[in-house]
Amino acid sequence: MSLAVGDVLDPVTQQSSLVTSVMYAAASGDYNPLHYDPEFAGQVSPTGGPIAHGMYSMGLTSRMLAAAAGGPEGVLELQVRFSKPWPLGATATFSGTVTAVEDGVATVEVGGELEDGTRILTGTARIRA
Amino acid sequence: MALNPAKVGAVYPTYRYEVAREKIREYATALGESDPRYTAEGDDCVAPPTFVAAFTITRGATDLFADPELGAHPALVHGSQRFVWHGRPLRPGDVLACTPRIASITARGRNEFLVIELDCVHEGSGEPALTAETTIVFLGSAPQDGAGEAAA
Repeated sequence: MSLAVGDVLDPVTQQSSLVTSVMYAAASGDYNPLHYDPEFAGQVSPTGGPIAHGMYSMGLTSRMLAAAAGGPEGVLELQVRFSKPWPLGATATFSGTVTAVEDGVATVEVGGELEDGTRILTGTARIRA
Repeated sequence: MALNPAKVGAVYPTYRYEVAREKIREYATALGESDPRYTAEGDDCVAPPTFVAAFTITRGATDLFADPELGAHPALVHGSQRFVWHGRPLRPGDVLACTPRIASITARGRNEFLVIELDCVHEGSGEPALTAETTIVFLGSAPQDGAGEAAA
Protein backbone atom coordinates (compact mmCIF):
# COMPACT_ATOMS: atom_id res chain seq x y z
CA MET A 1 0.00 0.00 0.00
CA SER A 2 1.42 3.32 -1.02
CA LEU A 3 -0.44 6.50 -1.87
CA ALA A 4 0.64 9.14 -4.37
CA VAL A 5 -0.63 12.57 -5.38
CA GLY A 6 -3.67 12.24 -7.63
CA ASP A 7 -4.74 8.84 -6.26
CA VAL A 8 -8.50 8.45 -5.92
CA LEU A 9 -9.64 6.34 -2.95
CA ASP A 10 -12.24 3.58 -3.30
CA PRO A 11 -15.49 5.45 -2.62
CA VAL A 12 -18.19 4.44 -0.13
CA THR A 13 -21.82 4.64 -1.30
CA GLN A 14 -24.72 4.39 1.13
CA GLN A 15 -28.46 4.99 1.10
CA SER A 16 -29.69 6.50 4.37
CA SER A 17 -32.94 5.24 5.91
CA LEU A 18 -34.84 5.20 9.20
CA VAL A 19 -32.95 2.00 10.02
CA THR A 20 -29.47 3.46 9.39
CA SER A 21 -30.48 6.54 11.40
CA VAL A 22 -31.82 4.62 14.39
CA MET A 23 -28.76 2.36 14.40
CA TYR A 24 -26.43 5.35 14.31
CA ALA A 25 -28.42 7.13 17.04
CA ALA A 26 -28.02 4.14 19.36
CA ALA A 27 -24.36 3.59 18.49
CA SER A 28 -23.38 7.23 18.94
CA GLY A 29 -25.75 8.21 21.74
CA ASP A 30 -27.15 11.11 19.71
CA TYR A 31 -30.93 10.75 20.05
CA ASN A 32 -31.95 14.04 18.45
CA PRO A 33 -35.40 13.16 16.98
CA LEU A 34 -34.55 15.26 13.92
CA HIS A 35 -32.83 12.10 12.67
CA TYR A 36 -35.71 9.61 12.93
CA ASP A 37 -39.02 11.20 14.02
CA PRO A 38 -40.93 12.40 10.93
CA GLU A 39 -43.39 14.48 12.97
CA PHE A 40 -40.66 16.33 14.89
CA ALA A 41 -38.49 16.70 11.79
CA GLY A 42 -41.48 18.07 9.89
CA GLN A 43 -41.44 21.10 12.18
CA VAL A 44 -37.70 21.84 12.37
CA SER A 45 -35.86 20.12 9.52
CA PRO A 46 -34.54 22.26 6.67
CA THR A 47 -35.77 19.54 4.27
CA GLY A 48 -39.15 19.04 5.98
CA GLY A 49 -38.27 15.47 6.96
CA PRO A 50 -35.72 13.44 8.93
CA ILE A 51 -32.07 13.87 7.97
CA ALA A 52 -29.05 11.66 8.67
CA HIS A 53 -26.63 12.52 11.50
CA GLY A 54 -23.73 14.61 10.27
CA MET A 55 -21.54 12.19 12.21
CA TYR A 56 -22.94 9.27 10.19
CA SER A 57 -21.60 10.90 7.02
CA MET A 58 -18.27 11.57 8.76
CA GLY A 59 -18.16 7.95 9.92
CA LEU A 60 -18.67 6.66 6.38
CA THR A 61 -15.89 9.01 5.24
CA SER A 62 -13.57 7.58 7.87
CA ARG A 63 -14.51 4.03 6.75
CA MET A 64 -13.19 4.92 3.30
CA LEU A 65 -10.04 6.48 4.78
CA ALA A 66 -9.26 3.52 7.08
CA ALA A 67 -9.61 1.12 4.14
CA ALA A 68 -7.10 3.20 2.15
CA ALA A 69 -4.70 3.63 5.06
CA GLY A 70 -4.50 -0.06 6.01
CA GLY A 71 -6.66 0.26 9.12
CA PRO A 72 -7.81 2.74 11.74
CA GLU A 73 -4.23 3.31 12.97
CA GLY A 74 -3.49 4.94 9.61
CA VAL A 75 -6.11 7.68 10.08
CA LEU A 76 -4.41 10.62 11.81
CA GLU A 77 -6.79 13.53 11.38
CA LEU A 78 -10.14 14.29 9.78
CA GLN A 79 -11.88 17.61 9.56
CA VAL A 80 -15.26 18.00 7.84
CA ARG A 81 -18.00 20.55 7.38
CA PHE A 82 -21.60 19.39 7.10
CA SER A 83 -22.48 21.68 4.23
CA LYS A 84 -26.02 20.48 3.38
CA PRO A 85 -28.51 18.10 5.02
CA TRP A 86 -28.68 14.43 3.92
CA PRO A 87 -32.40 13.51 3.72
CA LEU A 88 -33.28 9.94 4.72
CA GLY A 89 -33.85 7.86 1.60
CA ALA A 90 -31.20 9.63 -0.44
CA THR A 91 -28.03 7.87 -1.56
CA ALA A 92 -24.67 9.52 -0.86
CA THR A 93 -21.21 8.74 -2.19
CA PHE A 94 -18.11 9.59 -0.16
CA SER A 95 -14.91 10.08 -2.09
CA GLY A 96 -11.34 11.22 -1.57
CA THR A 97 -8.39 12.39 -3.64
CA VAL A 98 -4.77 12.56 -2.49
CA THR A 99 -3.49 16.13 -2.92
CA ALA A 100 -0.10 15.91 -1.17
CA VAL A 101 2.28 13.33 0.31
CA GLU A 102 4.98 14.32 2.75
CA ASP A 103 7.01 12.28 5.24
CA GLY A 104 4.79 9.25 4.73
CA VAL A 105 1.57 11.18 5.38
CA ALA A 106 -1.00 11.82 2.63
CA THR A 107 -3.35 14.79 2.62
CA VAL A 108 -6.75 13.76 1.23
CA GLU A 109 -9.51 16.11 0.13
CA VAL A 110 -12.78 14.36 0.97
CA GLY A 111 -16.36 14.98 -0.07
CA GLY A 112 -19.84 13.53 0.20
CA GLU A 113 -22.33 13.99 -2.61
CA LEU A 114 -25.95 13.02 -3.22
CA GLU A 115 -27.06 11.63 -6.58
CA ASP A 116 -28.47 15.03 -7.59
CA GLY A 117 -25.03 16.58 -7.06
CA THR A 118 -25.78 18.20 -3.67
CA ARG A 119 -22.58 18.34 -1.63
CA ILE A 120 -23.41 17.30 1.93
CA LEU A 121 -19.88 17.04 3.31
CA THR A 122 -16.55 18.58 2.51
CA GLY A 123 -13.25 18.26 4.31
CA THR A 124 -9.62 17.27 4.62
CA ALA A 125 -7.87 14.26 6.11
CA ARG A 126 -4.33 13.18 6.93
CA ILE A 127 -3.67 9.47 6.60
CA ARG A 128 -0.58 7.24 6.46
CA ALA A 129 0.57 6.99 2.87
CA MET B 1 -30.88 35.27 23.44
CA ALA B 2 -27.28 35.36 22.28
CA LEU B 3 -24.51 33.16 23.68
CA ASN B 4 -22.36 34.77 26.36
CA PRO B 5 -18.94 35.66 24.87
CA ALA B 6 -17.45 35.90 28.39
CA LYS B 7 -17.55 32.07 28.47
CA VAL B 8 -14.78 31.74 25.87
CA GLY B 9 -11.93 29.88 27.57
CA ALA B 10 -14.21 28.29 30.18
CA VAL B 11 -13.14 24.75 31.11
CA TYR B 12 -15.78 22.21 32.20
CA PRO B 13 -15.28 19.21 34.52
CA THR B 14 -13.29 16.24 33.23
CA TYR B 15 -15.39 13.12 32.66
CA ARG B 16 -14.40 9.45 32.26
CA TYR B 17 -15.27 7.08 29.45
CA GLU B 18 -14.52 3.36 29.46
CA VAL B 19 -14.30 1.69 26.06
CA ALA B 20 -16.34 -1.54 25.85
CA ARG B 21 -15.96 -4.29 23.27
CA GLU B 22 -19.70 -4.58 22.55
CA LYS B 23 -19.98 -0.80 22.10
CA ILE B 24 -17.21 -0.93 19.47
CA ARG B 25 -19.09 -3.75 17.73
CA GLU B 26 -22.35 -1.80 17.81
CA TYR B 27 -20.68 1.31 16.38
CA ALA B 28 -18.85 -0.60 13.63
CA THR B 29 -22.09 -2.37 12.67
CA ALA B 30 -23.94 0.95 12.38
CA LEU B 31 -21.34 2.13 9.85
CA GLY B 32 -21.35 -1.14 7.87
CA GLU B 33 -17.67 -1.69 8.68
CA SER B 34 -16.02 -4.90 7.49
CA ASP B 35 -12.59 -4.81 9.21
CA PRO B 36 -12.70 -8.02 11.31
CA ARG B 37 -10.72 -6.40 14.13
CA TYR B 38 -13.73 -4.22 15.00
CA THR B 39 -15.67 -7.33 15.97
CA ALA B 40 -12.77 -9.48 17.20
CA GLU B 41 -13.15 -11.45 20.44
CA GLY B 42 -9.47 -11.27 21.38
CA ASP B 43 -6.73 -8.75 22.12
CA ASP B 44 -6.63 -7.62 18.50
CA CYS B 45 -9.96 -5.77 18.84
CA VAL B 46 -9.70 -2.06 17.98
CA ALA B 47 -12.25 0.72 17.42
CA PRO B 48 -12.98 2.50 14.11
CA PRO B 49 -11.67 6.10 14.03
CA THR B 50 -14.99 7.89 14.55
CA PHE B 51 -16.02 5.53 17.38
CA VAL B 52 -14.86 8.48 19.48
CA ALA B 53 -18.11 10.23 18.48
CA ALA B 54 -19.84 8.00 21.04
CA PHE B 55 -18.29 9.93 23.93
CA THR B 56 -17.25 13.27 22.48
CA ILE B 57 -20.09 14.94 20.58
CA THR B 58 -23.15 14.70 22.82
CA ARG B 59 -21.37 13.96 26.12
CA GLY B 60 -18.75 16.63 25.51
CA ALA B 61 -21.43 19.31 25.17
CA THR B 62 -23.71 18.20 28.03
CA ASP B 63 -22.18 20.32 30.80
CA LEU B 64 -21.85 23.37 28.54
CA PHE B 65 -25.47 23.21 27.49
CA ALA B 66 -26.53 22.89 31.14
CA ASP B 67 -24.53 26.00 32.09
CA PRO B 68 -27.13 28.80 32.50
CA GLU B 69 -24.39 31.43 31.99
CA LEU B 70 -23.64 30.20 28.45
CA GLY B 71 -27.14 30.64 27.05
CA ALA B 72 -27.28 27.58 24.79
CA HIS B 73 -30.68 26.92 23.17
CA PRO B 74 -32.21 24.01 21.27
CA ALA B 75 -32.25 25.56 17.76
CA LEU B 76 -28.89 24.16 16.72
CA VAL B 77 -27.14 22.04 14.11
CA HIS B 78 -23.76 20.31 14.02
CA GLY B 79 -21.77 22.55 11.69
CA SER B 80 -18.37 20.93 11.47
CA GLN B 81 -16.16 18.45 13.22
CA ARG B 82 -12.45 17.77 13.54
CA PHE B 83 -10.72 14.82 15.17
CA VAL B 84 -6.99 14.39 15.66
CA TRP B 85 -6.01 10.89 16.78
CA HIS B 86 -2.73 11.04 18.69
CA GLY B 87 -1.78 7.42 19.15
CA ARG B 88 -2.99 3.89 18.60
CA PRO B 89 -6.67 3.09 17.96
CA LEU B 90 -8.81 2.69 21.07
CA ARG B 91 -9.23 -0.82 22.51
CA PRO B 92 -11.68 -2.46 24.91
CA GLY B 93 -10.78 -1.55 28.48
CA ASP B 94 -9.21 1.80 27.63
CA VAL B 95 -10.29 4.47 30.11
CA LEU B 96 -10.23 8.05 28.89
CA ALA B 97 -10.33 11.33 30.78
CA CYS B 98 -11.95 14.05 28.66
CA THR B 99 -11.94 17.78 29.38
CA PRO B 100 -14.19 20.19 27.41
CA ARG B 101 -13.25 23.81 26.87
CA ILE B 102 -15.00 26.62 24.98
CA ALA B 103 -12.53 27.62 22.27
CA SER B 104 -14.54 30.37 20.60
CA ILE B 105 -17.93 32.00 20.11
CA THR B 106 -18.47 33.96 16.90
CA ALA B 107 -21.43 35.32 14.95
CA ARG B 108 -22.07 35.26 11.22
CA GLY B 109 -25.31 36.70 9.91
CA ARG B 110 -28.12 35.61 12.23
CA ASN B 111 -26.28 32.53 13.49
CA GLU B 112 -23.72 31.92 16.22
CA PHE B 113 -20.84 29.44 16.09
CA LEU B 114 -19.71 27.73 19.27
CA VAL B 115 -16.45 25.78 19.07
CA ILE B 116 -15.88 23.18 21.78
CA GLU B 117 -12.40 21.76 22.12
CA LEU B 118 -12.23 18.42 23.90
CA ASP B 119 -8.97 16.92 25.03
CA CYS B 120 -9.00 13.18 25.85
CA VAL B 121 -6.07 11.40 27.48
CA HIS B 122 -5.59 7.84 28.72
CA GLU B 123 -6.39 7.83 32.43
CA GLY B 124 -3.41 6.98 34.56
CA SER B 125 -0.66 7.35 31.96
CA GLY B 126 -1.89 10.73 30.75
CA GLU B 127 -0.90 9.66 27.23
CA PRO B 128 -2.78 11.80 24.65
CA ALA B 129 -5.57 9.88 22.88
CA LEU B 130 -7.44 12.41 20.79
CA THR B 131 -8.52 15.99 20.34
CA ALA B 132 -12.04 16.76 19.16
CA GLU B 133 -13.13 20.16 17.88
CA THR B 134 -16.89 20.44 17.55
CA THR B 135 -18.60 23.43 15.94
CA ILE B 136 -22.24 23.87 16.91
CA VAL B 137 -24.28 26.41 14.95
CA PHE B 138 -26.97 28.15 17.00
CA LEU B 139 -29.64 29.36 14.62
CA GLY B 140 -31.07 32.86 14.74
CA SER B 141 -29.63 34.06 18.06
CA ALA B 142 -26.80 36.31 16.87
CA PRO B 143 -26.96 39.89 18.13
CA GLN B 144 -28.34 42.08 15.32
CA ASP B 145 -27.57 45.68 14.46
CA GLY B 146 -29.88 47.94 16.40
CA ALA B 147 -30.43 45.27 19.03
CA GLY B 148 -28.26 47.12 21.52
CA GLU B 149 -24.64 47.56 22.42
CA ALA B 150 -23.94 43.84 22.24
CA ALA B 151 -23.95 44.16 18.46
CA ALA B 152 -21.05 46.61 18.46
